[in-house]
Amino acid sequence: MNILGADYRRDLGIRHYPVLIYALTPLAALVLQALLPYLLHGYAWFDLPLVVTIYFALVRRDPIQGTLMGAGLGIFEDALTHHAIGANGIAKTVAGFLAGSVGGRIDVENHTIRLTITFLLSLLSGAIYVFIYRILLGLDLQWSWFAELMKAVGTSLIALVLYPLLDRTEIRD
Amino acid sequence: MESFFTRYRNLLVLLAILLAQIIGLAVQVHRTDSGRNSVDPQDVAGVRLIRLWADEAVTPPERLFHASEQGTVNLWQYYLDLRGVRDQNRDLQKTIDRLRLEQASLLEDARQGQRLQVLMDFQQKYVYKTLAAQAIGSSGSDSSRVFYIDKGADYKLERDMAVITPDGIVGKVREVFPHSAQVLAINDQTSGAGVILETTRIRGILRGNAAGRPQIVGILPDQRIQPGERVITAGGDQIFPRGLPVGVVLGVTPDPDRDSFIDVIVKPAAHLDSLDEVLVITSTEPRFPVEQQQDMATSEALKGAEADAIKAQKKASEIMAERLPGLTEPHPTTTTPASGQTPGNAQPGPDQATPATAAEPQIPKLLHPQHPDRFTPGATSLPSQNEKTQAPASVKSKPAPKSGAKPGPSVNPAPAHSGRNPQP
Repeated sequence: MNILGADYRRDLGIRHYPVLIYALTPLAALVLQALLPYLLHGYAWFDLPLVVTIYFALVRRDPIQGTLMGAGLGIFEDALTHHAIGANGIAKTVAGFLAGSVGGRIDVENHTIRLTITFLLSLLSGAIYVFIYRILLGLDLQWSWFAELMKAVGTSLIALVLYPLLDRTEIRD
Repeated sequence: MESFFTRYRNLLVLLAILLAQIIGLAVQVHRTDSGRNSVDPQDVAGVRLIRLWADEAVTPPERLFHASEQGTVNLWQYYLDLRGVRDQNRDLQKTIDRLRLEQASLLEDARQGQRLQVLMDFQQKYVYKTLAAQAIGSSGSDSSRVFYIDKGADYKLERDMAVITPDGIVGKVREVFPHSAQVLAINDQTSGAGVILETTRIRGILRGNAAGRPQIVGILPDQRIQPGERVITAGGDQIFPRGLPVGVVLGVTPDPDRDSFIDVIVKPAAHLDSLDEVLVITSTEPRFPVEQQQDMATSEALKGAEADAIKAQKKASEIMAERLPGLTEPHPTTTTPASGQTPGNAQPGPDQATPATAAEPQIPKLLHPQHPDRFTPGATSLPSQNEKTQAPASVKSKPAPKSGAKPGPSVNPAPAHSGRNPQP
């Protein structure tokens, strides 16, 4: 398990991206998340803001940045719904924090690992959302494991395409 | 101390952000009278501001997308896809010549058809004032069935306005932004629309389930509910006008929360997953065409004039009634010479009581018997005795017969009432 070794982690560097990528990618994710279900006749089995949150938290290896981006995107995503603002924010905050924490300990260049993390964090995000809504707030929300599973799969499939594209925008020496 | 914050900086930032969001959630949720928690439908100012920011961030790209989509389609249709247009134009010219001939014969039929169409569509055309809007985006979450339209406060949209399509109801306006509005679809879990089953007349509340399918909740089991039955709006929710199509019944499932109730799954009449153009009912005031409005105004004016005429006629009749003598005498006479009856013998009707008779005490009078006998009050002797005593007088009064017959006591005059001639 060379990828988890301390020497290997030291060799890893923090990626840098143009400012426009930092600014436009989350906005594009929000817009597409609002637009694509409309174009796909209601199918919303994916979470583009979560993909972007996990990606930047992983490659930046910074839990605080992942936390802030997750909170911001989650709150904006909540604001587009008619639900209480914050449930999605908390879920994505935790996901961003965990992705940033894990990013400093594993090989984020490996696509399989990134997709696995994305899949797991998507499930975790959905579980946190349901927990907050039903348990913490005591609100009525019907949900199904199947829908959450399909959403995690859809999110991972999008990550499969999006991560290599974002990798290309990296500023290299 | 510094090392503590440095060492646990990541965790502290995480906890601070989580705590802030939890407090924000607590502000938005309140407990209802029924003891259940609910999100306040009227957002507080801060929450509304965040929603406005999100809308302002997302709506312009969505508008741009739709505009570019339409522009691309127009570019293709009007410029690029014009091969063979000249030949097509020639063929079309021939077709036009032929159709002009047919048009003359069909014109009359078309006019008749239009008249019938106006009659059929009368109810739809006169009732409500609507505003067409374009659906431009969604919430992006399958747990929040809301979508955005390109009309907002600039078109005087307001909360809780009904959103429909020609097929059926769609939802209601939940939030109004300056240039857009958020619409809560009827298949959302938090929506609620009063509906009624058209045939069985069972009422219920329509809302969505986890799968985004509308269902009527809280209904007692009823064998009459069958798939295919139409569902229409009941009109009691103050949002959707009565009688709008909602969908058809797909089936019935037990209510998972309450054992003795069922949920009626409804297939929505409107295509909720592929909404494009929608209509927002901006006013439920009756909207009549100009001609009908003129007719109504004329009718109202005539109605008022007719009422005035009737009133004037009634007043004139009252004046005439005061001036003309009445049909009944105010002071009727106490005797009726024609009949020779005394007032005591007169038999007034029930409503003919005169003031005089009403004022004096009524003294009962006995009627004259038709056949008085010895028991008759006032009689002094038997009828036979009367006859005996009266007979000589009658005999005496009679002239003696010239034939010399002696008048004897045996001669008995026939009773006056017998009617038979006396025997010689």
